[in-house]
Amino acid sequence: MIDRREFLKMAACLSASFGITQFPGIVHAALKKIDPANVPRLLYLQGQSCTGCSISLLQAESPNAVSMITQFSKLSFHADLSATSGRQALNLIEEYISGRNGEYFLAVEGAIPWDMPEACVIGNKPFADYLTAAAKTMSGALAVGTCATHGGIPAAEGNLTGAVSLKEFYKRKKIDPLLIEIPGCSVHPDWVWKTIIHLVQVGLPELVNGQPKLFFSRKVHELCPRYHDFQQEIFARKLGEKGCLFKLGCLGPDTYADCPTRWWNGGQTWCIDANAPCIGCASPQFAAKKNFPFYRSFEQAASRISEDNK
Amino acid sequence: MKVDIGPVTRLEGHLSIHTTVENNVITEAKSVGEMFRGFEVFLRGRDPLDAQQITQRICGVCPYAHAIASSYAQENAYHLNVPPNGRILHNLIQGANHLYDYLLHFYQLSALDFVDVTAILEYKESDSDLIALRDWVNAETGSKSRFPAAPFLPRLSGRYISDTQTNILALKHYIESLEIQKKANKASAIFGGKFPHATAIFPGGCTQEPNIDHIASYRSLISEVHDFIHKKYLPDILAVAGQFPEYWHIGQSRGGFLSYGLLPFGPELDSKRLFAPGVLLDNTIRPVDFDAIREDIKYSKYSSPSGLTVKEGELTPSTHKPGAYSWVKAPRYQGKVMEVGPAARILVDYRQNNNPKIKQLVDKFVGIAGITVDNLNSVLGRHLCRAISAVVIADFLLEETERIDLQAPFMAEYDLPESGEGFGATEASRGALLHYIKIKGYKIEKYECVVPTTWNCSPKDDRDQPGALESALVGTRVENPEEQIEANRIVHSFDPCLACAVH
Repeated sequence: MIDRREFLKMAACLSASFGITQFPGIVHAALKKIDPANVPRLLYLQGQSCTGCSISLLQAESPNAVSMITQFSKLSFHADLSATSGRQALNLIEEYISGRNGEYFLAVEGAIPWDMPEACVIGNKPFADYLTAAAKTMSGALAVGTCATHGGIPAAEGNLTGAVSLKEFYKRKKIDPLLIEIPGCSVHPDWVWKTIIHLVQVGLPELVNGQPKLFFSRKVHELCPRYHDFQQEIFARKLGEKGCLFKLGCLGPDTYADCPTRWWNGGQTWCIDANAPCIGCASPQFAAKKNFPFYRSFEQAASRISEDNK
Repeated sequence: MKVDIGPVTRLEGHLSIHTTVENNVITEAKSVGEMFRGFEVFLRGRDPLDAQQITQRICGVCPYAHAIASSYAQENAYHLNVPPNGRILHNLIQGANHLYDYLLHFYQLSALDFVDVTAILEYKESDSDLIALRDWVNAETGSKSRFPAAPFLPRLSGRYISDTQTNILALKHYIESLEIQKKANKASAIFGGKFPHATAIFPGGCTQEPNIDHIASYRSLISEVHDFIHKKYLPDILAVAGQFPEYWHIGQSRGGFLSYGLLPFGPELDSKRLFAPGVLLDNTIRPVDFDAIREDIKYSKYSSPSGLTVKEGELTPSTHKPGAYSWVKAPRYQGKVMEVGPAARILVDYRQNNNPKIKQLVDKFVGIAGITVDNLNSVLGRHLCRAISAVVIADFLLEETERIDLQAPFMAEYDLPESGEGFGATEASRGALLHYIKIKGYKIEKYECVVPTTWNCSPKDDRDQPGALESALVGTRVENPEEQIEANRIVHSFDPCLACAVH
């Protein structure tokens, strides 16, 4: 039996172990107008990625992927879809990055291996070199997915490549481009495509911590249809049970994303509706620490946290 | 002359092929995996139940296969009693994922090697999707853009399908398949929680209960996919084959075939499977022995010892190792090169007379194409074997839903052991997928993955034997050595996934 005060204590305890020391304030970014007539040309490059975000982008419903790449944006290059290949593809990329082909937005999926540039190469050149060169010519960059926004799985504790996010990469390079971050492992297709539509039709969306406020202003827990279960203390005791999943390790209380209202795969389902605890895939600390497993009983989590604090 | 044809697009990840071409024939091909993350290292010390989540991120194209392989490995390590429903739900999730992947591979990843996109400009009928596509290509090619109609143009030089109607129908199905693949993914997500990267798959079952609401949606979605496979996917492959019959004889790998078998009929992992496991070497079928697999690294960018078994696996990157040209290791079975994937899956099953439906479909289409069963080891053979797999899997999934017992449990109960180990073997859409977990002190002590593209896109091994794809490229005639559309077609027929191969 826990009351609200006790829950908040537990949530704060989780937050601390998840690396969130303070709750983010809302940052109002300046609205940079982009001419709606000038549909952004997207140069989509992949770093240390699994292509899951790209595959997710193909699951879009309204508008669907074909409309997005022909009407709402111009997908100049994407390694999974482009007919071009090899030297011809490298030339196309080079035309954009050199600035010879006019304005474009860079979309980056995947992390960047800071300590081992050879761990991600496109056409005999480190991926990092493309990012550095593009920073001089691009209108802005879209970090697609948790690998690109926070390092994600490639940056998990104990990784050998020193994987970093796009923001961290540019920070270390002392470059400060216009950057929109869309976390999620994978991203929800709406989060990316509708950010692009916002860019086309309105301009830069309002950002909270670099992420579009439209999708990332509230926590999964706040929006969760099982909030009532939580209040009534109807908790799932083991995997496969219904009820609030908090005591199995659900990270809804620590994750900013609108999954509970948006749902996934065309509104067919989403994690918690399938009784699967939120694993915080859109969270800055997703999968970061070995001693913070995805599935925990609260007692287990609490004891590990106290061990860490010793 | 030496030509790098990378980055090869329309596949997962970072692949280049370093070719040597003499008199318009490829005389040497080096398969170069260009991206490394090191999953096996950062999995160590984590909670074992993290594994089916973390390993899905090896590949966002076939994450469910990794979740299933990891779940199998953990089931073995935990000695789990899996309820029949648990295995059925695993099958429903994994099977639907195969269907999406085959469609994505044929239409989005491969079709543009054959289909002439510009044929749409001649479209004169009333289909709204095609009119929109025509008008868009028209506007693009008439604009000042230096790269009009990207990403569908520019393209490599070569012969494309010349028949306008065939091209237009293929383009229509390119668009339609994007809608159909979503339906397959919706179906698998009903029990997986979401796609990509399912959260509801666990060792011993999944957390979503099977009820009529879920099962009816699943069946309806799979039925639509089933129809598309029969009415469009299979005929489209035959149409491409009709225009490019030489590709029944191009892209032949020179080794054996390995399949771990797919979709078990019962909760026990050694149950008979819809596709039988086996090793096909020198025309003889043998049972699979995981200890016969060793990973060579003479040409891979690692300094850890070469020739280790899966259980012994080590991973020490060495970025500038002399002579090494790929991040992919070179797994070999009893020292032999193996092709894995759709052709291996079908041939291994066919040679054992395991699944009568596979035998019937193979015999039928081999007859229609006027080829032999051995010609399935080819560019078109791999495409056809995917379509045959799709037919067999779609039928199976609809039957499998009828075996669900609505009153019975769908998740195993577990008490995680302090130590244990287990293999988990299944077929990803791209082929034989093996996970190995060793647990000590409630943590992962060792985790190893030998992944389909690790086999297919491996570099040469310690005895200098080229990998399956490398061997399939050598001897190929290329009209334009700078671009090599022929080599691209061969590469695509393997459906490489480099994030998987290196992981």
